[in-house]
Amino acid sequence: MSHNRKAFVIVSLLLALSMVLAACGAKPTPTAAPATKAPAATQAPAATQAPKPTEAPKPTQAPAKPVTIEVYYPVAVDAPIAKILNGYIADFEKQNPNIKVKPVFSGGYGDVKTTIQTTIEGGGKPPVLAVMLAADLYDLVNAGYIVPLDDFIKSMPNGDAYINDFFPAFMANSKYDGKIWSIPFQRSVVTLYYNADLFEQEGIKPPDSWESLAEAAQKLTIPGKRWGIEWPSGWPYWLFQPLAIGNGQNIVKSPTEVVFDDPKVIEAVQFYIDLSHKYHAMPEGVQKNWGNAPADFAKGAAAMIVHSSGSLRGILSQAKFKVGVMAVPGKKPGTYATVTGGGNFYMLKGASPEEQQAAWKFIEFVTQPKYAADFSIKTGYIATRKSAYDTPEMKEYIQKVPQAGQLKDMLKYAGAELSCMNLGKVRNIFHKYLQAAYNGQMTPEEAMKKAQQEADKALEMFK
Amino acid sequence: MSVATRSVSRRKAPNWLPYLLISPTLIIVLVFTAWPTVQAIYMSFFRQYLNIAKFRTPTFIGLRNYKELFTSPDFLQVLKNTTIYVLGTVPASIVLAFLFALLVNRAVKGIGLARLGFFYPTILPMVSAATIWMFFFTPDYGLFNTFLETFGYHGPENWLGNPHLALLAVMIVAVWKNAGYLMIFYLAGLQNLPEDVFEAASLDGASWWTQLWKIAFPLLRRTTLFVSTIAIIDAFQVVDHIFVMTQGGPSGASTVLLYYLWQVRFEDLNVGLASALTVVLIIIMLSITVTNFVLSEREGA
Repeated sequence: MSHNRKAFVIVSLLLALSMVLAACGAKPTPTAAPATKAPAATQAPAATQAPKPTEAPKPTQAPAKPVTIEVYYPVAVDAPIAKILNGYIADFEKQNPNIKVKPVFSGGYGDVKTTIQTTIEGGGKPPVLAVMLAADLYDLVNAGYIVPLDDFIKSMPNGDAYINDFFPAFMANSKYDGKIWSIPFQRSVVTLYYNADLFEQEGIKPPDSWESLAEAAQKLTIPGKRWGIEWPSGWPYWLFQPLAIGNGQNIVKSPTEVVFDDPKVIEAVQFYIDLSHKYHAMPEGVQKNWGNAPADFAKGAAAMIVHSSGSLRGILSQAKFKVGVMAVPGKKPGTYATVTGGGNFYMLKGASPEEQQAAWKFIEFVTQPKYAADFSIKTGYIATRKSAYDTPEMKEYIQKVPQAGQLKDMLKYAGAELSCMNLGKVRNIFHKYLQAAYNGQMTPEEAMKKAQQEADKALEMFK
Repeated sequence: MSVATRSVSRRKAPNWLPYLLISPTLIIVLVFTAWPTVQAIYMSFFRQYLNIAKFRTPTFIGLRNYKELFTSPDFLQVLKNTTIYVLGTVPASIVLAFLFALLVNRAVKGIGLARLGFFYPTILPMVSAATIWMFFFTPDYGLFNTFLETFGYHGPENWLGNPHLALLAVMIVAVWKNAGYLMIFYLAGLQNLPEDVFEAASLDGASWWTQLWKIAFPLLRRTTLFVSTIAIIDAFQVVDHIFVMTQGGPSGASTVLLYYLWQVRFEDLNVGLASALTVVLIIIMLSITVTNFVLSEREGA
């Protein structure tokens, strides 16, 4: 308490001082003031790096009063996210001495959402910003938890260019009702990792169709020693989607329409089952191996795995062979498919305009190409903006780790992640029947028909 | 003078002092248990979906939430799973706890290590424990399968992905986690038993088994009542490992009541149905606890 008050007094004093300074100096030039402890609120910091051509100067109009914003944030990958983000926040606060950013690391995605829900429904004040799943959009809008971001985007000198610089695949789950509701932050795609050395050794080319995928997997299987492919299915919709998309039919059509019982989707389910039952190249039934699959792959117990692009760093650090990455082959030769995943920045209701302004500034800051590139390099997430790949840091990184560039190139095959009204319910229905089919409790056709019926019922109220 | 004051205070004290003393507990129970219960009962008669704009305001729908529950195959599956889970984990944990307690109750060298070993799972947070167990249950090279193989068993290997084994797997973890905790109560009970009774029994030629069954166990009746009550409550309330290990799957095979409640409330955002589920949960817990209490009191009388 007294600590806060002291901080407040200091900040006020600095503010007053800054006004005096501003009044004295006719026109403060950005390089005039010392970079550290820059008291002037209207001061841009001395840039230590060459300004990025694609980045417009940030509006330097800081709020008059000191503002503290909270950012709720999940840790969903094996990377020191907390440390990385704290570094960005320090940089941001140096540039914006009137804004304090308080990051709250609150577990996984589910925990962040649950915490915010509980806070709002209990009558508390939610954080101004949160990173939540891009796919959660509709539930968040319907529940009235979040605010649209269009006004902030419009207030930018180059708002359209800013938005258009994000990869369209990552923006797919940001738009609803003619508005933009979230800004991509930590994003990934479903990736097929393959042991390139092993492929070369056996004279196998990277697969370009379901058939060649199955054959490669079969050829590389050594019973009891090595699986041709591991394809986790404990939380199955995400890793399944590339199969459906690769057969020409995504499982989601509109916010109120899902497609589970289309023959093409059923065929995709059948293909997954065939990999184990027909080709004996994959463990049977539901595979609860999300956590183990990367390690299995790295130590050679699986020749291929389907996993998140976010596991690339971990795999590269462990694997003693050449790691290949690619999108999941489609049914027809030469077709590929993947699906995006991961979290976006959402702004929550209930904050003052000043807090919202400050929060938007933070979003802008941390999505700059420089930081987007840095975040991607340090975590393994795909950088969200095209211009991030033009930064020297990223270019250098891709030279060292070409897979990082290949992941980005997979975005052109990306379909939309399952996102619809009543997502929790619909997703649970799909999981239930997809797993029933994987486990042989129902035929793919029976399972998907039932899934469609129940999902239609769950979506009926939203039409 | 002083005598007068004391007598006054003695006469007055019973009026407010006990209430003052229990008031912190009372307030906590009222605010965090009684009031939410009342609220859940009330809300269970309403339709409220937080994720549907037009249904965000609660509307009275009578018993429709209950009707929906009891006609839903999912819920019936959940009730079945919960019954299996409770009947499977509670007696097993109690029996194991009792055996552990007997084992470590003796003054043998190195028994501290055994006590530590049995109690260790208790201090481990459930989420960490579940994460470790997930690796134990890994198909192909998991420790659990390897362990079973030494007994010549080569059966189903995919513990968490198999609909017939997933529930058993989470039950094994629950028993492993709970038995050591419950052992503490039996151990305390055993150490408080009067020595002379057993000496007398020995003189009379009662076997070890008779002593255990006819003397120790009946004397520990209160401990058993307490232990079974908390074991049952725990069985209903601890679902952390399910979040980590199976997410209720595959196909809902390991979904128990509280996990289902969480899904309905926080994934489906269906407040009315979640409230009805809460009421069902409360009724089940209350009736079990009361029955347990009444039965064991009658036995004692």
